[in-house]
Amino acid sequence: MNWLKRLGGGSLTLYTILFFAFIYAPIAVIVVYSFNSDPVNMMKWSGFTFDWYKQIFGFTNASSEAALYIESTDQLLAAIKNSFIVAAFTTTIATLIGTSTALAIYRYNFFGKRFYRVLMFTPMLMPDIVLGIALLIFFVGIGMPLGIGSIIIGHCTFLISYVFIVVSTRLAGMDRTLENASADLGANEWATFRKVVLPQVMPGVIGGALLAFIISMDDLVITYFISGVGTQTLPLFIFGMLRRGIKPEVNAIAVMMLLFSFTIAAVGLYLRSRKK
Amino acid sequence: MHDKIISLDNATKRFSLPEGGKINALDAIDLEVSRNEFLTLLGPSGCGKTTLLHVISGFVQLDEGQILIDGVDMGETPPHNRPVNTVFQNYALFPHMSVGENVGYALEIAHTPKPERIKRVGEALELVGLGGYADRMPRQLSGGQQQRVALARAIIARPKLLLLDEPLSALDRNLRQSMQIELKNLQAELGISFIFVTHDQEEALTMSNRVAVLNGGVIQQIDTPLNTYNYPANSFVASFVGASNLFEGKASRDGERIHIATEHNEVIEARARKDQHINGGKVTAMLRPEQFSLADGDENRAEIDVTIDQIVFLGSAYELLGKTTGGSEIKAIISAARQSRLAEVERTKTARLSYDPNAVHLIPGTGDVQ
Repeated sequence: MNWLKRLGGGSLTLYTILFFAFIYAPIAVIVVYSFNSDPVNMMKWSGFTFDWYKQIFGFTNASSEAALYIESTDQLLAAIKNSFIVAAFTTTIATLIGTSTALAIYRYNFFGKRFYRVLMFTPMLMPDIVLGIALLIFFVGIGMPLGIGSIIIGHCTFLISYVFIVVSTRLAGMDRTLENASADLGANEWATFRKVVLPQVMPGVIGGALLAFIISMDDLVITYFISGVGTQTLPLFIFGMLRRGIKPEVNAIAVMMLLFSFTIAAVGLYLRSRKK
Repeated sequence: MHDKIISLDNATKRFSLPEGGKINALDAIDLEVSRNEFLTLLGPSGCGKTTLLHVISGFVQLDEGQILIDGVDMGETPPHNRPVNTVFQNYALFPHMSVGENVGYALEIAHTPKPERIKRVGEALELVGLGGYADRMPRQLSGGQQQRVALARAIIARPKLLLLDEPLSALDRNLRQSMQIELKNLQAELGISFIFVTHDQEEALTMSNRVAVLNGGVIQQIDTPLNTYNYPANSFVASFVGASNLFEGKASRDGERIHIATEHNEVIEARARKDQHINGGKVTAMLRPEQFSLADGDENRAEIDVTIDQIVFLGSAYELLGKTTGGSEIKAIISAARQSRLAEVERTKTARLSYDPNAVHLIPGTGDVQ
């Protein structure tokens, strides 16, 4: 029986390793090949280089071989800038509206509350492509020019849901007698909100905001429909590059986006651990 | 200064039932608590004791009746403006604040200057035996310590009245017993009135000046622990406060002697008390288990034959569970000092028990009293 047990344990370990390999191997490949000097065949290793990273930031002189593959660095930087502007505005708006909605639903009973809650969930479940087309038709219909403004509004429509859900979950785990205790000790509703409810719900708010920021930075499908001509975000820029073949700089950009996401997540986890 | 710290007059609260209709959570409650009194609200779950507490703290509004705290009508006053503080059942400590911040919360809200706040937090923590714990977080403390923090937090603002909602129910037996004594001492030291809610009758009897027994939203009896135990007002109180043997029957009076004939054909002997006017009709006779002893021919004691089903060793005593010849259930507690006779009882499965007719408490009416 002992060997059977060992076999069982062994195969479980193997399965676990394979499972994680399946998930992370493609990402590892991107990271490794972002340092590959072969510009044509991505799957052939021909030496280590920082060229692709240099190119992205325009540090390579145009005469080098790699320059043949350069997209416009200015365009890339403009796309990154747009993405940050959109994400910053979207995160602020979605966090404010999503949090206050969650608080209102937690705090008050009103007619149609359950239906209202469902309405708050729905945008998240809506297929991106449907939402994208719908937004496009809407913006064109009301005569709103497409650009950064329309992208921000578009992102808000579904990111409010995300923040709402994260904050609601946090609120659901909160002990209501704490509010009674606060009132009992002389605090009015505003003081109770400021000193008891808000500090406890804060990790949820921060978590929701970080999630909204990352999703906004990352969104392609919806942004594709409502960005109009001339406004590019980072995902749109990469998508545009891919249409003309997979270029090695894509790997480098992907690695940097990955690093950025990890940093945001790490900051979120750090803040959370400090609060707790 | 009013000599009554709180008075409730005809306090009534109805809740709607999910299946329709209404239930009286509180049914015309009249209650007064004196300054410096320790009152316990005792009753089973759902008897209305927590609702009553919430009415006093302001979380529940009365449908009818009036509530005065220190002579002031509190009907329209929200919880945060009432001179009352509460120790909650689950302690309700703020998890994101340190022990010191928790205890000082009421002072911070009242904008007490920081130096004074720190001084008083220190004093309050000393008082509950947690000096030096101010910088800990609540989750780092044991249940008993959290309990003390909740207590310190509730008394720091020197309320006129402290409400305690089953604060000891989550503690283990030993800790609970030492906290009972500490609470009683603390109450005497602080000189503020306590209203203590519990479903544990032992707790109620140990600590209180008076006990109010609640059931079905109605106060069944409000009296000293001794009177509540010895002279319960009805059979609910008799069976809820301590163990009891109840015999329902028809009373017949012969001078000082009263005989109660039950439908199981037992006859219980009792003596008339001056304050009771029982001449006949239906009564319930109550005997506590410890009022029985093994019969030894004493003429002043009445006797009753019992078949024994079970003998339970309790340490200092034995509990005898059995039935009378007529079939009424009997519970008796016999001192373990009577070893030899208990051995005989165990062998024969029968016993002749005796009791003092003067000790039999008579409750007018039948056991159907709510």
